[in-house]
Amino acid sequence: MTQVRETLAVARLGGRIYWRDKQALTATVMTSLGLGVGLPVLMDRLRPGDPGVVVAQLLGMLAVALTLGAFNQTAVSLTARRDQLILKRLRAAGLSDTAVLGGELLNIAVQSVLIALVAIVAVVSLTSATAPRDPVLLTVFMALGAAVITLLGAAWTVVIPRAEVAAPMSIPFFMIAGLGAGAFGPMNQFLPGWLSTVLDLLPTAAVVKVGEAAFADGTFGGDLRAAVVPLLNLSVWAAVALLVVSRRFRWEPRRS
Amino acid sequence: MTAIQVDGLRKSYGDFEAVREISFSVARGEIFALLGRNGAGKTTTVEILAGFQRPDGGTVRVLGLDPVKDRAKVRKSTGIMLQEAGFFPDLTVARTVDSWRELVPAARPRAEALELVGLTGKAGTKVRQLSGGEKRRLDLALATLGRPDLLFLDEPTTGMDPEARRATWDVVTDLAAHGTTVLLTTHYLEEAQRLASRMAIMDKGTIVASGGMAETLAAETGRVAFELPAGVEVGDLPVEVTAVEGATVICRVADPDVAAQTLLGWAGERGLRLRGLEVRTATLEDLFLDLASREKA
Repeated sequence: MTQVRETLAVARLGGRIYWRDKQALTATVMTSLGLGVGLPVLMDRLRPGDPGVVVAQLLGMLAVALTLGAFNQTAVSLTARRDQLILKRLRAAGLSDTAVLGGELLNIAVQSVLIALVAIVAVVSLTSATAPRDPVLLTVFMALGAAVITLLGAAWTVVIPRAEVAAPMSIPFFMIAGLGAGAFGPMNQFLPGWLSTVLDLLPTAAVVKVGEAAFADGTFGGDLRAAVVPLLNLSVWAAVALLVVSRRFRWEPRRS
Repeated sequence: MTAIQVDGLRKSYGDFEAVREISFSVARGEIFALLGRNGAGKTTTVEILAGFQRPDGGTVRVLGLDPVKDRAKVRKSTGIMLQEAGFFPDLTVARTVDSWRELVPAARPRAEALELVGLTGKAGTKVRQLSGGEKRRLDLALATLGRPDLLFLDEPTTGMDPEARRATWDVVTDLAAHGTTVLLTTHYLEEAQRLASRMAIMDKGTIVASGGMAETLAAETGRVAFELPAGVEVGDLPVEVTAVEGATVICRVADPDVAAQTLLGWAGERGLRLRGLEVRTATLEDLFLDLASREKA
């Protein structure tokens, strides 16, 4: 069995478990879709005839949905499987470590992209927002963003001592991501300049930047230029996450 | 052909030395038992052999490969029944086996895997509803799914009822008969004695006794026990007494048959009866107790 087949097999298994997991369905799917669709629809009712506001709200909520669906879900799921010794059992099945971790992350990344796509389609269908001009670029960056954010979630498990505290230790990140992406209104206008700059460096900010280009008027060449800095941003975060995961990832609970 | 070769293996957790320079080898097709009390270092040894942990010192070869550097290759040919490892609790037994079949190349069919461990009737049961012993049997089904050349069984029958334990012994014996090498850890002495042809006893991270099961036991003392006849003092007996438990006298002797004949002759001359006379060669339990008493001394 090749590495790719092993990875896909673990991802399929993870997918099966994901859709049976009531906690994941409530905390990730329902919350992400509820916020990702509900707030833009609400904004459309409050500010009728201003699709730009609805799109800004949608992109802000995509940052929240990606953080909940990719980062938080990875942290919660991996620490639970680590503590329940399920990761150990998967390793014992003869799979490579890359296939075990890659499969788990692939599953979560795919689920979070699907949730984000459903939110976009729902908002475009239910509000005055128009469909993105460049849906391919938006989808590609959501996929790249989800991949990097799941990797960061895996890296975050290094500091999570046990599964029970994974969720509370991960919650601040979706608040920070949402704040930086304007999900909670224009609050970032009241933040100090240095803090806004820091928030713009988040991987979710990279997805939002490309999303803005994908929804706005423009050309394919302009889209590509707009994607350069976000791509660099995601690359740096991916490198940091990979470094942490490769050196510090724990497959089993601490023995003491 | 050697399936496992361990030389001078060492492993510590902080200041605690879990394994202290142990050496042993396991031949292909053999069932080898690693015995010892909790904390003796058995599981650490198995986890190093299976590539889950790096040794601090010494060399380890599994099927001729380094289990850490060549972990992927080693795992393709090995099955592991860990002492502790989780399941997805909401999957049924059948779905669990099916899921693992996707991960293991050339896996047994589900029906065969479940029949092997006697879980056919539990195929539709969720894993969370299984008893501890049934979970161990499912564990064995997953460990043997890929028909491994080498099988690590870490406390395989813990939590099983006697019937399931005997059924598991039959499975292991059958696998070995078909050429599978088995490294078994257990603290059920009867299990080791029943299954293994060779063994090593670990205590505090070191191997304190090892060799062929029959030879090791033969080298140890046998046991003669009986009720002390009324009016007889322990000092009057013609053999050395090791212990007195209530009214029962226990003698550990090199040759229990000779000791029993001596005692019966002595009792016959005096018109005495040795009630509850029990004569047997050494068991692993005796060996364990001997090692414990030597340690205390």
